[in-house]
Amino acid sequence: MTEPTIYQHLLDQGLSRREFLKLCGVLAGAMGLRCAAPVLASGLPAHLVNDNASAAEAVAQALESKPRLPVIWLEFQDCAGCSEALTRSQSPTLVDLVLNKISIEYHETLSAAAGFQIEENKQAIMKKYAGKYALVIEGAIPVADDGIYCTIGGRSSLDLLKEAAAGAAAIIATGNCATFGGLPKANPNPTGAKGVWEIITDKPVVNIPGCPAIPEVFTGVLAHFLVFGALPELDHLNRPKTFYAETIHDRCLRRPFYEAGKFANTFDDEGARQGWCLYKLGCKGPTTYNSCATIKWQAGLSFPVQSGHPCLGCSEPNFWDGGGFYQGQSAPVIRPALAGVGVAAIAGVVLGAGVAAANRAQKPRDAEKPVAAQQNSAAKE
Amino acid sequence: MDWNAILEFARGTFFQVALLVFVAGMVYRLARILLLGWKPNRVTAKGSRLGGVGMSFLKGAIIWPFIPWVKNTASRNPVIYIAGGIFHFGLFTVILLGTAHMLVWKSLLGFGWPTLPLPIVDWLSAIAIAAMIGLFINRLINPVLKLISGPAEWLNLLIVFLPMVTGYIMTHHLFFRYEVLFSLHMLAVDVLLIWIPLSRISHFMFYFFSKAIHGAEFGKRAVTP
Repeated sequence: MTEPTIYQHLLDQGLSRREFLKLCGVLAGAMGLRCAAPVLASGLPAHLVNDNASAAEAVAQALESKPRLPVIWLEFQDCAGCSEALTRSQSPTLVDLVLNKISIEYHETLSAAAGFQIEENKQAIMKKYAGKYALVIEGAIPVADDGIYCTIGGRSSLDLLKEAAAGAAAIIATGNCATFGGLPKANPNPTGAKGVWEIITDKPVVNIPGCPAIPEVFTGVLAHFLVFGALPELDHLNRPKTFYAETIHDRCLRRPFYEAGKFANTFDDEGARQGWCLYKLGCKGPTTYNSCATIKWQAGLSFPVQSGHPCLGCSEPNFWDGGGFYQGQSAPVIRPALAGVGVAAIAGVVLGAGVAAANRAQKPRDAEKPVAAQQNSAAKE
Repeated sequence: MDWNAILEFARGTFFQVALLVFVAGMVYRLARILLLGWKPNRVTAKGSRLGGVGMSFLKGAIIWPFIPWVKNTASRNPVIYIAGGIFHFGLFTVILLGTAHMLVWKSLLGFGWPTLPLPIVDWLSAIAIAAMIGLFINRLINPVLKLISGPAEWLNLLIVFLPMVTGYIMTHHLFFRYEVLFSLHMLAVDVLLIWIPLSRISHFMFYFFSKAIHGAEFGKRAVTP
């Protein structure tokens, strides 16, 4: 028996043809094929919708002909924040359809079943869809002491990851923890936390960093895999280029104030009230690659910089250890301790005095020489 | 290549090390010079040495350099006078009154100050870079400068030039990703910090000592500059 296609699934759910086409448009947008999901979802002018026709058609064809994409979602050293963000994403239809109705098979937080039942189900799914399912990882993986710092059902997360990764068609790491280690990896990293791509090296891992990851970016990547059967183009940190090609700074609505040198100095001064640049308050926008400034959050309502808080750089590796959150980015990561500077100065004095003393010991001082001898030596020179 | 990791190193460990080397090196140089001692003074002073120092600073460093017809350099070597002046003025304005730079001072000293708008800082740095290129060409073609320029002088130019150029390209988001240029800028600054005590760029500190000593000598002889 052949698997029912996604379209058939959706029809079974009571979706109309019209709603289906709308969904295809939203998916095309979420993949960044033309523009971002919220823009399309909010109802575009006709000429723009036409522009998207081909992209939406491609999506429609794929959904009509392809079977559902099973997803196994594993949570390790995480806070479920990425899942949380996804469930509150501003494209509820999209998330609902892609994750709940279409595909999600195992999710510790969202699945209704629990305990041995769901673990057995997971094993069955992994066997049934071997080589076909998408594996989503949320949270870092501790590798110190054989990974005992995070266990589920008595098995270490390292073990669970390797087992699930073996049969996965694609691996998507969501959130800064699963991608770059995030908070668990912050200095001194007692559990030896690592990102997925540091452990799984024989398969492509798509990194969707962020704290949490932007839901539209996640669904966009998943939709891309669903529609094209391939992973999107990735950058050097395995992030999809569609969403991570530009910095927050490049697309920031406060950018003109940066150029004009107008900065908020504190969180409650006139500059802050006027919406000036937050660079002085520690904004990491210039080195942070993500789509917050374009896709935004909560149905395109706002994003941290817009609402008055500097970018923390949460989609970059080691953002917890990259200097103070509220310290200007140009400032050194480590503020030199006064003691260190003192020691350096003392070392300089000791060295200088030592060399000076050695030099003096080598030649008699000018004052001790007779005047004639001085004149002689001056003449010789 | 993970440039964010390089940036973290350049802003973190390497900067820390460079800063400590800079402090130790400058203190070493200072100790060496102070311990050379004064020449024995066998002449009765005709004037005030302290007054001489004051005049030396007031006229020699603060007023006269800005009046071209008083300075011999202006008429004898106008390129050095104009380009050198613009270079120093631009460099120090950018280092002290550029917002990003002020934040470095703030993190080191614990207090900050108002800064200039980016366009002004930007033009000053562009002019300073142009002046530096002018000084470089001058050193290439001036027969006397050519004779007294060794590898250290050329390195001085290069090591000061690199942070300026990388900083300028970085603020304009040209050619490379921001963090690549940020890393190169910080690496160049770190190298500069280490290089300063070993080179004549240390004149940023010793200039004031020599000015003071000249002033004292002038004052002693009552021939204030």
